[in-house]
Amino acid sequence: MTEPSHFNEQERADLVAYLDGELTGEAARALEAKLSLDPAARAEADALRRTWELLDYLPRPQPSLRFTHRTLERLSPVRADEQQRQRLWRIRCLGLGWAAALLLAGWTGYAVYNWIVPREPGERQLLQDLRIIENKRLYDRIEDLDFWRALDAPDLFGEDASNS
Amino acid sequence: MSATGETSTQLALRDPDIRLMLRVRDDDRAAFEELVELYQHRLVAVMNHLVGNAEEAEDLAQEVFLRVYRSRKKYRPRSKFSTWLFTIANNLALNALRSRQRKPMVSLPAQDSGPLGPRPAEQLVRDRGSGPMRRLERQELTDLIRRALEGLNERQRMAVVLNKFEDMNYAEIAEVMGLTTKAIKSLLSRARENLRAALSSYVYMDGERVPEDSEE
Repeated sequence: MTEPSHFNEQERADLVAYLDGELTGEAARALEAKLSLDPAARAEADALRRTWELLDYLPRPQPSLRFTHRTLERLSPVRADEQQRQRLWRIRCLGLGWAAALLLAGWTGYAVYNWIVPREPGERQLLQDLRIIENKRLYDRIEDLDFWRALDAPDLFGEDASNS
Repeated sequence: MSATGETSTQLALRDPDIRLMLRVRDDDRAAFEELVELYQHRLVAVMNHLVGNAEEAEDLAQEVFLRVYRSRKKYRPRSKFSTWLFTIANNLALNALRSRQRKPMVSLPAQDSGPLGPRPAEQLVRDRGSGPMRRLERQELTDLIRRALEGLNERQRMAVVLNKFEDMNYAEIAEVMGLTTKAIKSLLSRARENLRAALSSYVYMDGERVPEDSEE
């Protein structure tokens, strides 16, 4: 049977840290004082220390003689996999590059075409010119610009015009 | 910058293994071989203490080295090389132990005779009672200690192995296991207490007198 502990959880954590050389300052001094005054606590600390030393009985397992060789052998598939991934990456980049080049060429062609070939009038333009378009048949009969300007004179038809 | 505020260059200047790893990063195969030679003993030993099986320990150690190699291009020195290496080892070992728990293996040690005869612990108690403790074979003792270690939970076992066999301090173990130093302190305290409980019968078996106070 294990002896009941003389330490609470925090004290035992401090004790283990003390045995591991991880406890310093006031906490270490308090623990040292407890150990010097309490033989039961000292015995428990001793049991913890001895238990830890028992682990030294465990053999230090050694790797097999061909460990390095076998490990290096396993690199070949890793490298082949990496090269395959690099190839795929290059193909993907190339594909993306071509797609980008095609898009750029298309956009450039469209811009150049718009710059060279005048654009058809838009809807707003057509609405603005609607009255002229509707009366185009009449305007076509006008032979010179002066006559057309004369038509705009308000008193051209005088009184008769308003009466008829 | 590292956890200690050092730059990669400062770390590399202080740790020759970081310089070696930086050569591995630059696809120097000889440097990788050197790293394997340098760390295989420590890594296999740690894995063996954790999984308790030589073959599995070697496989896991190899897997650690392969992961190091696979991630070489992303390697940026932020702490000691060994800390980084054992962080990978910790992750792999914990995964292996967890998957083993999901697929429990029945292992029957040769000495575990069960109904056919006394178990070693029972035998030890009997031997102890009759006095000739020194007849206890070292192998039996080793098996008992190993069983006590295997009785710890995965994280306690990892902390114990790193502390005991890798001489890592609490801060280094915390970094490897991704925990706080305080958590490691508590983890190790509970682990040591569990080991003490499991091995209490064998602590004073080498003929030394048990301190009077512990016999009260």
